[in-house]
Amino acid sequence: VFPGVRQAQWLTKTKLVEGLPPAVQGIVDNPALGLQELEERAKHVVSHARLWDTAEVAPRREQYCPVLFENLIHICRLMSGKYSSLSKRMLARNFRIAVTWERESILLQVRGLSGILMNSMTPIPPVASKEEILATREHVLETFYPIAPTIDLQEVNVYKELNDTGQCFRDGYPYSHPHTLFFLESANIRTDRFRPEQLRAKMLMFAFGNALAKAKALHGNDPKVLEQPIVVQSIGTDGQLFQFMVFQLNTTDLVSSDGIKNLVWIDSDQKLYERAQCVPEVKKRVVTKPAGIFGFQPDTFKKFLALYLHGTV
Amino acid sequence: LWPGRRWFSETVPDASSTLTSPLYPPVVASITAKSKAAKSRRLQRFNQRVHAAATVEEKLRLYGKLQRPKYTVYPQTFALNADRWYQSFTRTVLVAGMPSRAAAAKPPVAAAGATPEAGRAPEPRAEAPVAAKTPEPAAGSAPCLDLGELRSLACDALLQESFYQKKERPFLYRDQDHTPGPFLTQLVSTLAASLSLLNPLLAASSLDLNPEVNYYWQHGEEVVVHGHRKGRVDPVQFQIDDNPHLQIRVPMQLPEVVPLESDLGDVPVIDHKPSKLPLFKKQYENKVFIGSKVADPCCYGHTQFHLLPDKLKRERFIRDRLEDQIEVVYRSNGIASLFAWTAAQAMYQGFWNEADVTRPFVSQAVVTDGKYFAFFCYQLNTLALSAETIKNNPRKNICWGTDSKPLYDVVEDGNVKGFNDEVLLQLVHFLLNRPKEL
Repeated sequence: VFPGVRQAQWLTKTKLVEGLPPAVQGIVDNPALGLQELEERAKHVVSHARLWDTAEVAPRREQYCPVLFENLIHICRLMSGKYSSLSKRMLARNFRIAVTWERESILLQVRGLSGILMNSMTPIPPVASKEEILATREHVLETFYPIAPTIDLQEVNVYKELNDTGQCFRDGYPYSHPHTLFFLESANIRTDRFRPEQLRAKMLMFAFGNALAKAKALHGNDPKVLEQPIVVQSIGTDGQLFQFMVFQLNTTDLVSSDGIKNLVWIDSDQKLYERAQCVPEVKKRVVTKPAGIFGFQPDTFKKFLALYLHGTV
Repeated sequence: LWPGRRWFSETVPDASSTLTSPLYPPVVASITAKSKAAKSRRLQRFNQRVHAAATVEEKLRLYGKLQRPKYTVYPQTFALNADRWYQSFTRTVLVAGMPSRAAAAKPPVAAAGATPEAGRAPEPRAEAPVAAKTPEPAAGSAPCLDLGELRSLACDALLQESFYQKKERPFLYRDQDHTPGPFLTQLVSTLAASLSLLNPLLAASSLDLNPEVNYYWQHGEEVVVHGHRKGRVDPVQFQIDDNPHLQIRVPMQLPEVVPLESDLGDVPVIDHKPSKLPLFKKQYENKVFIGSKVADPCCYGHTQFHLLPDKLKRERFIRDRLEDQIEVVYRSNGIASLFAWTAAQAMYQGFWNEADVTRPFVSQAVVTDGKYFAFFCYQLNTLALSAETIKNNPRKNICWGTDSKPLYDVVEDGNVKGFNDEVLLQLVHFLLNRPKEL
């Protein structure tokens, strides 16, 4: 009906900032990291996922989307040869989350399979400065009067308020800080996939859910403003378009709509490549479009890598 | 004979012209007749067509163009003594144990005695050349292999999959997908990433999850038993369609282990038809595929990782009183999968059974069921296995393999008990294998 991110913002008491935060942008622009040489590898990896992976002529999205993601993560992981603290990360697949919170007397809950989560031993340092956090106090959340903010949400009787990712991982898990969530929209049929706006809303909700669960695990269930904000990142893709998101949880006091808000930086609709031509297009015996990847954007891959390296570099 | 004829043959016939233009075309067998000579002429024309193919894709297309019923060989099989049968199909010699690599090739292991080495520096100079051979972390020349760090990575991966992450109950007969599968993926990806500093080949590698490997070949001859082609002699065709759990492909080839013409043993000879194994015939597309198409720069194989399914669990064999067949399962999986992979890599380089390989192709594999690991190294020396080409072919393919050993004893309460460092060390050496230039 209307953009989902605005609704998600109201539900999670969040202020939106366009573009990536300066800390991550700094990693992207840092020449010392040698991101240039990786461009060639990234192009090979995209070609592998989109063109070469299968014995058939062209792989379908259900196949190439996860393969592309795995290849990108493989390149990022190989950087741990240079930065040894990168090996303190662990991927968790098929990971379930369950969090509840109250928002102006409405009890909300996030549950379900939230894609692939990458955990690390050390938390990401807060991205926004103290002044920015205090400045959110003046920000007014937009309401959608007369539409209720819980439109399109499923109403469910909750008998047990399940509360944390500690439900998913047992105590004593060494990689206890959620670092990045990955969402792959890999359904073949377009109507089964989330549209970019809805995908961004989903990413925001799950990032918020994970951060809230971690906050409750660290500081208990009382709503309060956090001195040490929790940062969770999120990347969503459908194989070609990438959505990057950095979410910072500043407060667990979500009942009222005033006071300090949470912050989210969203960089949306980044194309990794324009087109992938599997079979050369021939019109009247002349090859008009040769096979290959066209319009490769190295910046999108650099942002992916920067989000991966964030927290250790 | 007529005197009048001399008018036309006044000129002396030129000797050179009769050599350059023969009076009659060459007398060869017909192409379409139903005779052995015609059959051999058709085969020669086919071979010439494949030799003359411009690209590798064209060669592969022509090689697998004719579809006939062929035996489907499954690498993971419950058939008794399948490893001997597979050795005879692929002309492989099985050698127990791993090939001994030069000790100098092994990177220095960071021993706990690093500080005593630095303390021994003021010793007399005569011992300096000897000390230079042993690893010196203080020199900082090459990064060391920290076994403790790798052990903790492996234990973390194992604990996460089996203990820390709460999962639902495994689906019926899908135990392998629940814990050992994700554990293997995590283990290999984290180990490969942390070892990429020591092995630059890994830094340029490509990791495939659940890829497809196919190979089609001909070996031996048989008489067609039934049908309108009854009585004709046909080559016996085989096809392997394999799905390893994980595979690492690299842009440079692994070095050869032994020279191309070496003979390390005998290939077992089986006097029965392949269908007695049991193997069944099916006719479908003749695919040759290493995991990605020919255009991929990572066209050589490094290591494959295979996960044994629930059907081939050790407990089942023990319950059926077939303990000796447990190792057979690992060996047959190693031989068949590696033969298919190396042979497909060789075909991607343009070799086939009429144009035999000029350099050996080497790949490695680890076969596991989650706890027990068996290691295999395969060297492909010959592709020429069809009936005509195998007559004068002295070369044999070689497979080195170990028995399966457990990586750990049991996981209890967040602790891994009885971790076996040897298995981890062997896995690390596998991953560190690289050409001599690097």
